[in-house]
Amino acid sequence: MDDHAVQCHDLSRRFGSQSAVVGLDFTMPRGSVFGFLGPNGAGKTTTVRMMLGLLRPTSGSVRVLGHDPLIDGEKVRRQCGVMLDNVGLYDRMTAQQNLELAARIARLDESARRARVEAGLHRVDLWERRRDRVSGFSKGMRQKLGLARALIADPEMLILDEPTAGLDPTSIVMVRELLVSLAQESGRSIFLCTHLLAEAQRICDRVGIIQNGRLLALGDPNHLGHAGLSTIRLSLSGGDRMKMEALPLPHGATLEAISGSDWRVAIVDEADIEPIVAALVAAGIGVRAVVPEHVSLEEEYLRLVGGGNDD
Amino acid sequence: MWGAEMMTDLAIMLWKEMTEFLGNRRFIRVFALAVLAMGVLPALTFAHHSSGAVVGQPPIFALFRVIYVLFATVIVVAQTAPDLVLHERVGHTLEYLLTTRLPDAAIFGAKILAAFVVGYLAALLAMAVQLIAASLIGGSGWHWMFLALPLGRVAAFGVTASLGLYVAVIGTFVGVRVGEQRAAYMITLFSVGLLLIPFLVGWLSISLTTVWASRAAMVVSAVALILAGLGMRLFRREMLILYLQE
Repeated sequence: MDDHAVQCHDLSRRFGSQSAVVGLDFTMPRGSVFGFLGPNGAGKTTTVRMMLGLLRPTSGSVRVLGHDPLIDGEKVRRQCGVMLDNVGLYDRMTAQQNLELAARIARLDESARRARVEAGLHRVDLWERRRDRVSGFSKGMRQKLGLARALIADPEMLILDEPTAGLDPTSIVMVRELLVSLAQESGRSIFLCTHLLAEAQRICDRVGIIQNGRLLALGDPNHLGHAGLSTIRLSLSGGDRMKMEALPLPHGATLEAISGSDWRVAIVDEADIEPIVAALVAAGIGVRAVVPEHVSLEEEYLRLVGGGNDD
Repeated sequence: MWGAEMMTDLAIMLWKEMTEFLGNRRFIRVFALAVLAMGVLPALTFAHHSSGAVVGQPPIFALFRVIYVLFATVIVVAQTAPDLVLHERVGHTLEYLLTTRLPDAAIFGAKILAAFVVGYLAALLAMAVQLIAASLIGGSGWHWMFLALPLGRVAAFGVTASLGLYVAVIGTFVGVRVGEQRAAYMITLFSVGLLLIPFLVGWLSISLTTVWASRAAMVVSAVALILAGLGMRLFRREMLILYLQE
């Protein structure tokens, strides 16, 4: 069995003269939670559509759960529970009927159907509203019902495109709690397109940041900044610029002056801290403090995408 | 392609369409109005012209009343078929369906079937209303109606069915391509007018015989099925997604 839930290789898609996705290269291990982050219009939905075999890549390839969506699109769609940014619920149907339809499409037998629909409605706290038409539901309730629908067939992989888009803060909390509980369930791969950086940092094993169709960064959400480096802030005494620039640094480490006595050093490995301090002492520079710095995913995201929205 | 799997998928989608119909008040209004109008109107013309002397009427007069049944079918199907697709486009449910394992043929086949079934049901109900109205006015509904003639029965059941299928196919694919309700409805009605062109330019002539009506029904059905096949080939998932992006 393929170890990857998703494998993109040089994946590109153009619409006329416009490039929606350009040379996307990443893998997502099975059973992991992958956060696909980027502003509106960055190319996230186009990528999802190519993953589901709804759009043909202009070049490159994508494999989902070991299948090529262009050849085995039906297999991919059978194994994936999908919630798109526009949830797409049937307004003239009740909440129960919407889930019933998804269960029928998944070809569940009658008893399994009844059990899954009931469990799904309980899970998203909509059991009491099961006989109400969806047209009267708030956006938050619709998102929750959409999530329940995506889960109805107990899919191997979940693809969620902006599950919190357009929600008020209370609804965001509701959906976020659901996402966290889903992420904690082992074995299921989740591909999550989102704007919620704090949640991505909390629940994703790996994130990719995309803008204008290009992947700008990829990695562990807690160590995404500075191309996989962490940084330490040094507060020194007696360290002039010449002495500092002559300092023998471990391979890959870089130095940046912050103020007269404060410096920032980007390091590849935490084990590099000790030789750096030793080198400082050997050069006769006093070390007042060594503070490891943490770059949040939000800071890194804003640094990469410029805090803008390219709609 | 059309094995047991496909039949099950079609049944699932038909369940969905029928559940939606029952929740659509606007559709129920159009349906009820068409049935009542096409059922009661011919009974009124009957009352005006014959004053109850139904049996002595020439059969040709009875045959004209089948046109009301055809109208009921065309109006209901032309309204329903594009609406089934447009409603899904507006509500973003079409994209949801495309992300499921359902084949395109099941999604659109069910829409065609649903529109056809609803239109044919309207025709049958319009006939039932005519029959009841004629019985009340003339005392012998069966003889008053076209159903007493073999040609009338072919027209009522065969031509109506084939015309309903043709309009359902056209309306469904027009709904896929044309994003606006009124435009889709008008184009679908226009497609019925296209069927009259061979008669208007003199390539074909209408013959009021049972054989001719049966053949006409078969030809229209065959045209509908060919168009359905072409539509399924043309409107693949990628094309639909591109339309949805427009």
